[in-house]
Amino acid sequence: MAFANHLVIDDLSFDISRGETFGFLGSNGSGKTTTIRALLGIYQPTAGTLHIDGRVFRPEDGRQLGYLPEERGLYKKESVIDVMVYFGRLKGLSRQRARSWSLEYLERTEIADKASIRLDKLSSGQQQKVQLGVTIMNDPELLILDEPTKGFDPVNRNLLMDIIEGQKRAGSTVMMVTHQMDEVERLCDRVILLKDGRAEAYGTIDEIQDHYGGRTIRLRYSGTIPDSPHYVVSLRDRNYAELKFTDVSDESAILKELVDSGLQIREFTTGKLSLNEIFLRVYGAEGSAVAK
Amino acid sequence: MMSNHNLRTVISFEVRRTITKKRFWIATLIVPVALAIVFGLVFASNNATNNSIAAQKSSKFSFEYTDASGLVSQPLVKKLGGKLATSVADGIHDVKSGQIDAFFSYPADPSKQAVDVYGKDVGIFNNSKYSSLATRLLQLSADLKIASPQLSVIAQGSVKVNSTTFINGVKAPGIKGLIPPLIYLAVFYLVIVLLGNQMLNSTLEEKENRVTEMILTTVDPNTLIIGKILSLFTAGLLQMAVFVSPVVLAYVFFRTSLSLPNLDLTSLSFNVVSMITGALILLGGFTLFTGTLVAIGAVMPTAKEAAGFFGVMMAMLFIPFYISSLIVSHPSALIVQVFTYFPYTAPVTGMIRNAFGSLNPLEAVTLVLEQFIFGYVVLRIAVQLFRFGSIEYSKKVSIRTALGLMNRR
Repeated sequence: MAFANHLVIDDLSFDISRGETFGFLGSNGSGKTTTIRALLGIYQPTAGTLHIDGRVFRPEDGRQLGYLPEERGLYKKESVIDVMVYFGRLKGLSRQRARSWSLEYLERTEIADKASIRLDKLSSGQQQKVQLGVTIMNDPELLILDEPTKGFDPVNRNLLMDIIEGQKRAGSTVMMVTHQMDEVERLCDRVILLKDGRAEAYGTIDEIQDHYGGRTIRLRYSGTIPDSPHYVVSLRDRNYAELKFTDVSDESAILKELVDSGLQIREFTTGKLSLNEIFLRVYGAEGSAVAK
Repeated sequence: MMSNHNLRTVISFEVRRTITKKRFWIATLIVPVALAIVFGLVFASNNATNNSIAAQKSSKFSFEYTDASGLVSQPLVKKLGGKLATSVADGIHDVKSGQIDAFFSYPADPSKQAVDVYGKDVGIFNNSKYSSLATRLLQLSADLKIASPQLSVIAQGSVKVNSTTFINGVKAPGIKGLIPPLIYLAVFYLVIVLLGNQMLNSTLEEKENRVTEMILTTVDPNTLIIGKILSLFTAGLLQMAVFVSPVVLAYVFFRTSLSLPNLDLTSLSFNVVSMITGALILLGGFTLFTGTLVAIGAVMPTAKEAAGFFGVMMAMLFIPFYISSLIVSHPSALIVQVFTYFPYTAPVTGMIRNAFGSLNPLEAVTLVLEQFIFGYVVLRIAVQLFRFGSIEYSKKVSIRTALGLMNRR
């Protein structure tokens, strides 16, 4: 996918299985939104195809899709309920069903008293709640969410995560763009890390963690770390180091080896790199501005 | 099936939100309210005038006269209660002293010289009763001398003439055949002038509100744009009905009070070919102008920036009027031919020529086809520009970029 000879997406290939929640990760400008727009037929790819359920997406096919774009917005001069009913009707619901669903949703998201209020009179967080409601009101088979919790306070973020989790439990396939790694770890079955329009990593969270270090020993120490066939030093920063396993040795054997070498150990922990750490490692300085 | 359902949904949503806007009703009601005020003033002033005329008719006043022409009938004067003055000076003196209300001095040749009228001042409007009587007295005296009512009417020039002309041996409809096809022109102007700005803003709103992506993944852009155009047309019909209603009400219920002319619509001549041609030019022109305005809205980031292009479109609408006399009198002139085939001046030029009967069948077919083909192409481009252009939100989209994306399909 290119714009005026500028390559935005390069040789990207991925698939999402029915019923799974898929994390679409990447720093700003890595091509996430462009890929989604191409997937939804808003942009036409310069090469290749993107299929949903084996076909190029067209809204008129009446497939059950919910899309929450990064650019938030609805008809601001209209009332909340009118806009929700309008989208509900366009998504194939009857007027009564669209209205009753909307009122239930507004009740659930604690903005029922705003039903007759114009959208531009609502706070941005309340507007986002309405927009998420519009996105999921037809019980979509495929839900595409571009930074769904952007700009929410922790309480409302949790509420929306519950709603998304509810959709997942109800059987929706969810594709989610987010910079909140805790959301990814909570919800996503598989992820793709996009960098400069290419897939940097792709798989389950475990697979990604294994790819970026697998089991890791984090060490605070004094002295010199000895060489060993059981590990390699993947990171060294003054008296801090991360050791990556090279075989199936267990942690206690390595600890014994280090102590026997005369190394003074002040802290010894084992585990995998968090997604946040992997994100920072992949995107470096640009990633640190995005990740929390 | 789904598309029809969505089209109906888009139309009902767009119509409802258009007609619930204050701005729409201010624009819609300003004309009928202004008309109602004008009609009210006309009604009030007509009443005052009628009362004044009635008062003048019933009021009798004393007068004297001198007659150097010898045309004034003395028995008539006597019947009206006047008498002959001994001299002009005496007559004026009698008015000044209040002995009589008025004095008329008829000159030797009233056809060339003025009749001098003197009277007691009774207000600027009521004073006219003196000159009215002086003139009427002379007219009635002349009628008596002619001694024939028919000759009197002819002498006054009140002669009815019925003209009949022929085209290829067939009776030409004349002015009565001109009016019906020109109604299309009036409708075209009303629709574009009243709705043009809304056409321009119809897609800008999605862009400014950042709702484009949501809507484009929910409804087919063709359905959306066509729905918007049809809803605008519906709103336009409502506007026109509101505009016309005070005129119709005034004509039906207050025609006499408002001194409105009695229109005999049955005398209008409807030429089937001319009416169909006019309707097709109207439809084609509407499609072309609508498509263009929607396309402009799709590439412009804000209503303010789009306004400049709206001015250009309006100019296209009015430019043919600058050469309207040439369009009517010399339809084969080069500039008229250019205006007939240039897509944006063609609707107005074509409708005028069609009404005046100077659009031959070949020209009519070419013009109508051109309007529909251009209209369709522009509408398709407008949909694609909306699809790819409005996603850029705050940026002005290069048409080349949008069309480039479109060509990849």
